[in-house]
Amino acid sequence: MQGRRTLTDRAFWAVCGVAFIFIAAPSVAILVTVIHQAWPALGWQLFTQRTNALGIQNAILGTLLLLLGVLIVAGTVGVAAGIYLAEYASGRSEASLRFCSEVLAGMPSIVIGYIGYITLVYEFHWQYSLAAAVLALSALVTPYILKTTEVSLRQLPTTLREGTAGLGMPKSSSLRRILLPAALPGIMSGLIVALAISTGELAPLLFTANFTDSNPTLHLFHHSVPYLTGVVYTDLSQPGQRYHATSAAAGLMSIVILIILIGLGRVVSSRSRRQTERMTL
Amino acid sequence: MPEPATWVTDPGSALPSTAPAVARADQSGVPDQIADPVFEVRGLDFYYGRHRALQGVDLTIGRHEITALIGPSGCGKTTFLRCLNRMNDLIPGTRVEGDIRFDGRPLYEPDVRAIDIRRRIGMVFQKPNPFPKSIYENVAIAPRVNGQKGKLDDLVEESLTRAALWGEVKDKLKASAFSLSGGQQQRLCIARAIAVKPEVILMDEPCSALDPLATIRIEELMCGLKQDYTIVVVTHNMQEAARVSDRTAFFTVEETDAGRTGVLVECGTTRKMFTSPSDQRTDDYITGRFG
Repeated sequence: MQGRRTLTDRAFWAVCGVAFIFIAAPSVAILVTVIHQAWPALGWQLFTQRTNALGIQNAILGTLLLLLGVLIVAGTVGVAAGIYLAEYASGRSEASLRFCSEVLAGMPSIVIGYIGYITLVYEFHWQYSLAAAVLALSALVTPYILKTTEVSLRQLPTTLREGTAGLGMPKSSSLRRILLPAALPGIMSGLIVALAISTGELAPLLFTANFTDSNPTLHLFHHSVPYLTGVVYTDLSQPGQRYHATSAAAGLMSIVILIILIGLGRVVSSRSRRQTERMTL
Repeated sequence: MPEPATWVTDPGSALPSTAPAVARADQSGVPDQIADPVFEVRGLDFYYGRHRALQGVDLTIGRHEITALIGPSGCGKTTFLRCLNRMNDLIPGTRVEGDIRFDGRPLYEPDVRAIDIRRRIGMVFQKPNPFPKSIYENVAIAPRVNGQKGKLDDLVEESLTRAALWGEVKDKLKASAFSLSGGQQQRLCIARAIAVKPEVILMDEPCSALDPLATIRIEELMCGLKQDYTIVVVTHNMQEAARVSDRTAFFTVEETDAGRTGVLVECGTTRKMFTSPSDQRTDDYITGRFG
């Protein structure tokens, strides 16, 4: 009996170990490979020079600008739609909004990019531009923000809602003063996931932002925008060690941004967990 | 219209139902009849979807009295309590039939706003549910939302004092409400309700999640609050009903052709309900034969 238990125990640990290796190995391998390949290109010139020389300054600035745009557009729309779904929608409007959001969430990013191209870039005459790129990325990540906002509002204890109602507080003030602040950590982590996805996307940007060796500007229309994944893609197809190293450096830079975002998400969600634990008493 | 339950609880009474309330009082000093009603409920049916949860409830609740609602699980006492401040409006698919009057005015008229009603009829819940904010903010938030401007320090102090909590929290008003013990949190919820200056406070098993000492403190508090507020309290605990209430209403579950539904058996002064109830079912419940 004792022997069988030990055996089962060991088998279980072995399965866990294999699972761990399956998850850890690819991420470590990617990190090691990218750092190794980027090594010759690493240096301050990455931040001081643009992609027409040895740096990726314009791409870093462009990616950060795109993230800001996504935060404003997708953040506003996603959070508002999430609040609407969780608190106000019912019947047909709820069903149709939920359906549209799920369709959008499952849409391949290259399709979103192509539709952005034929409508915004071509039909609207916006050309390759910040506005078109931000809208395409926002269409891609809004469903995530919507979902996390809705879920974090819905999982607030009913007692909290009843507490505000029992005091005769109107729904709008209850939302603004009690429910949204309580749901904020969850909403924040949704925003961070959305930004992380935006950092790593290439397909929608190829169709809407194009690329440029100049630094990005705040012009919404008619100006192409540089971005990190663009450097990864184009420089990798260039001949020559130097380009490949720059390509890897741009990849490393997106990974760094990703890790910073994940770290922020960790801090926020651990705060959120503490708070909900206290709320359920 | 059926005779209201409160007025027929004493079959020995020779007085007509319109007689002044001071005419008779039992030994506890609570008059048999209610002179100044806050709520008059007549023929109340309540539905969750197609299921009828309450049937034909007639009950009068007197001003500045503590009325306890007792009965076995599922008898609709909490549902009844939540009808009194229209909390059930929040649950989709519910329906109220019959007449509930609050201060003589129908509660369920289209021109009566549930929000206004809930400001006049406060509520304390089974589980302490302070907001995830500071102690001060928990008390100040509803008056501020309701349009009170300027410093609310005096109101916060007054409300916390009335809820017998001021002494324990006056030095840490900025601390999170969750740093308080369960009993303190429940008193904070009472302070929060008082701060809106209601006329009635409804309490839904306010002590069921608390230890005996915290329970005693809340019960003492209720007796003190009776001077200024009308209190209706749902309780599972018959000793609690006997300790704090002036009047007790006993609900039970009945099997009808439409399924299990809650009915009011009788209501009378607490002393009478616990010593000589008119109905056999009340006697069975109080003596612990079921429920």
